Amino acid sequence: MAPMDPLILSFALVNGLLIGGIYGGVALGLSLIFGVMRVVNFAHGSLLMLALYATFWLQALAGIEPYASIVVTVPLLFALGFLIQSVIIAPLIRRESALVVEPLSALLLTAGVYLVIDNLALMAFGPDVRSATTGFALEPLMLGPIPVNMQRLIAFSAAILSAILLSAWLRGTRMGRAIRATAQNRDAAALSGIDVPLVYAVTFGIGAALLGLFGSLLATFIPITPQVGLSFGIRSFIVVVLGGIGSIPGSIVGGLVIGVFEALASQFVPATSAAILSLGLFVLILLVRPSGLMGRA
Amino acid sequence: MQQAALEAIDLRAGYGDVRVLDGVSLRLDPGEIVALIGANGAGKTTLLRTVSGLVRARGGSVSLYGARIDGLAPHRVAEAGFVQSPEGKQLFLGMSIQENLLVGAHNRRAYARRRTTIDEVYGLFPILAERRDKAASTLSGGQQQMLAVGRALMARPRVLALDEPSLGLAPIMVDRLFEAIRAVRRLDIPILVIEQNVFQVLSMADRGYVLENGRVTLSGSGRDLIENEHLRATYLGL
Repeated sequence: MAPMDPLILSFALVNGLLIGGIYGGVALGLSLIFGVMRVVNFAHGSLLMLALYATFWLQALAGIEPYASIVVTVPLLFALGFLIQSVIIAPLIRRESALVVEPLSALLLTAGVYLVIDNLALMAFGPDVRSATTGFALEPLMLGPIPVNMQRLIAFSAAILSAILLSAWLRGTRMGRAIRATAQNRDAAALSGIDVPLVYAVTFGIGAALLGLFGSLLATFIPITPQVGLSFGIRSFIVVVLGGIGSIPGSIVGGLVIGVFEALASQFVPATSAAILSLGLFVLILLVRPSGLMGRA
Repeated sequence: MQQAALEAIDLRAGYGDVRVLDGVSLRLDPGEIVALIGANGAGKTTLLRTVSGLVRARGGSVSLYGARIDGLAPHRVAEAGFVQSPEGKQLFLGMSIQENLLVGAHNRRAYARRRTTIDEVYGLFPILAERRDKAASTLSGGQQQMLAVGRALMARPRVLALDEPSLGLAPIMVDRLFEAIRAVRRLDIPILVIEQNVFQVLSMADRGYVLENGRVTLSGSGRDLIENEHLRATYLGL
């Protein structure tokens, strides 16, 4: 093993934290949807991909600054998530007589949504790699001798902030309480006067709206292709299971663990092997804590 | 004749091929406590689930103060005023006692008055007020049952149904619970109660229905039912 320069190592650590927080932010919606509905949304990454393209096209066609396109992408993705739930998934839930949806059938359904969205995107946008560029001059912030990429820092801060706001909203509002109650006991929620199908659609909408936010924030520094969603989707799944399904802080913690581990490991082994090692870490943590780092046993 | 608070006529329901309710008719008048008695599997819980809209009725009708509620979604039934404390309590165990109560007041009619109602519920069950910020899972079985009844009251029911409220409670807690049910009646809310404690519930109830194999086989005043030979032999073991 090569001797490590502490400066390079701390640079990797900072970058790992930033990327990890972003992973956590991207995974928030998946965790929320899984926690409330027990539905693994396989199309999670595809929705992020659509938000990235929305940001790109808004800039390419209308000259809208990527950071400003949030005001379009967030409501757009909310509507899309709301529709996917109420049009595609709701009929499946209605047919279930048991308390929860058969996880496998919901997974297959959302996997179908993923295939349709990704291939439609490929047809419509072609395989070219696109990128959006921000008009702001974002100079790296110097943390002592370590340069910190501003775009990543912004996305990281947004991840932390959305996790805090989402938790507060779930605790302190009527709709938030209704979502938590529905997550814990669907029938009891319905008997308490909660419109469960509406709660599900709003939950899916919020999960997707978060991807609208991160689509706009990531568009300036990751390459945009029709396939970019899948790797984010799978990583989100790992982050959510690692952090504890349905746990909002768990999502961020899981993201940080994966991000830092990958960044540090790739200092010692090639990046592809680092990804394999992070899966090894994932399995190892689950052996010790099957319900995830922040999950309830 | 006075308008019924709750009236089911020839109600039929089931799961898949299984027919559970085979034409049940019953009524509950304003101010009444009515007991629903029957063996396990007779269809008591299914009856409540059907009235609440969790199970779709296959025939018959349900009216609440003259307005049809069959075919409504569960949250609409609660908003209309039929509220039940379901079998097995079904609390939101990870949420605090206060939050459980607030969720109970989710329907539009009740939400506006939630602060008044929660004070009434805390007055009825002081132990809940004492522990309002604790998780529901930290309560004893009896206290959890109080919370389940309290949560149902938060919805400002016009008819309250209780599904086996005394299940699994120590005798002293059962006594306390029945006291609480009488207190609810004084709030002028008619109550339909499913109970295994047949003697105790019939002593309290104005009337009772006996459900067997999805049909009402016997009905009458609480006193008449206690005297009934068939009922004494089957449910009281006398």
